[in-house]
Amino acid sequence: MAIQILINIFRIAFLILLQSLVVNRMQPVDGLILPWIYIFGILMLPFNTPRWLVLFIGFAVGWIMDLFTGPPGLHTSACVFLAFLLPIVQKLFSPREGYDVSMKPTVQKMGLAWYLTFAGILTFAHHTWLFFLEVLRFSDFFYQLLHIILSSAATLFLMTIGQYLIFTSKSSEQ
Amino acid sequence: MKNILVLIHRFYVFLIFLVLQGFALYVLFSSNNFHKAEFINHSRDWVGSIYSKRAQLKEYLALGEINDQLSLENALLRSQLPGNYLVIDTVMLHYNDTLVKMRYDYRTAKVVNTTLNRERNYLTIDRGSVGGIKREMGVIANGSIVGIVSSVSDHFSVVMPVLHSKFQGSVKMKGSGDFGLLVWPGFDSEIANVKEIPKHVPVAIGDTVVTSGYSSHFPSNIVVGYVSAMDDRAEENFHRISIRLSTDYRKLSYVQVVNDLFKEEQDSLLQQVRALDGDTDSH
Repeated sequence: MAIQILINIFRIAFLILLQSLVVNRMQPVDGLILPWIYIFGILMLPFNTPRWLVLFIGFAVGWIMDLFTGPPGLHTSACVFLAFLLPIVQKLFSPREGYDVSMKPTVQKMGLAWYLTFAGILTFAHHTWLFFLEVLRFSDFFYQLLHIILSSAATLFLMTIGQYLIFTSKSSEQ
Repeated sequence: MKNILVLIHRFYVFLIFLVLQGFALYVLFSSNNFHKAEFINHSRDWVGSIYSKRAQLKEYLALGEINDQLSLENALLRSQLPGNYLVIDTVMLHYNDTLVKMRYDYRTAKVVNTTLNRERNYLTIDRGSVGGIKREMGVIANGSIVGIVSSVSDHFSVVMPVLHSKFQGSVKMKGSGDFGLLVWPGFDSEIANVKEIPKHVPVAIGDTVVTSGYSSHFPSNIVVGYVSAMDDRAEENFHRISIRLSTDYRKLSYVQVVNDLFKEEQDSLLQQVRALDGDTDSH
């Protein structure tokens, strides 16, 4: 249990640093594609995390991200929204007999199709909230939509690759 | 009463969500104006130190390019040494110190972080209130405009560059001297717009746009950019001018912060006059 908590804290800290020091420096297609991979740390929270705790973790992660980039409150708001949706989406796609203790929201444990649906919906929701809140206007609607779709796809792609890199078959046995 | 408790128990997750979300949105919208919330500043100091570590690493890798930039600037400054000029009329060059006072002084700083692709971009520089930086000072680099200091902590400052949806600057056409307003339409970190230049003023592609010196942020005649496109409409009285910014934000590594030594005098005089006129807008 304690190891689980430590792993999650380190994962979130590592992802925030990776996001702000590496990913934010890459700007393919002049800023049209902006992946926000740090949300991977929230998506990987264990299934049995209490809902109120997920919300506070989302708040903390967003707040730290805001210190690194952009106007204060922006990522906080998007992450709280994501943290609110996370248990709902988990419940929506739960197996008939519910999640058991050994299950983790990873490709290895749940399968690629399950993972892509689960992470895809949440990533799109988070990015939509984030980008429209940042711009706060609907005038360039189609540009924004393209921006959101491409960025979500990039985030999802990077997170799925990360799954194969981080959760090797050996570590998923633990 | 019991029912209310049952209700709260049932929806407590949603209530927590509403409270946290409300707080986040409050912080976002109350800090959107020019000055950022004060309590963000202090925590920016340690974020700034992480960024400066990264900048040090990056700087080491880019030493060649920075050397080129510095030697170019050295050459420029060297060419301005008085020894390089022929004295044509001794009377003209005879200054009296009591008549001429220094108006602007400059502090250099290193850029440790930039964003380019947002609606509101920011630059972080490694000099703060300890280094004499104050809010609303202008920032220039290699003789062209960069932005305005928008918040300051002890050792770092955040600069609002031209690439920010709320940025507005007073500029003029170098040739004719007509005044316009510099704004950034978004999307492209190299292009900005100049508004409010009337149509009777002739403007051509390639014309230079410089700062007007009206606001106390910048001295006059600092290069802003060059006219790159015009998109005039028949029904409007003003030009629609796009300019190519002369600052390359992607390669920015050293900047100069401009301190106007007469800023307070100029501002307080204007306020006195406004107070006399009964003008309540003290902007």
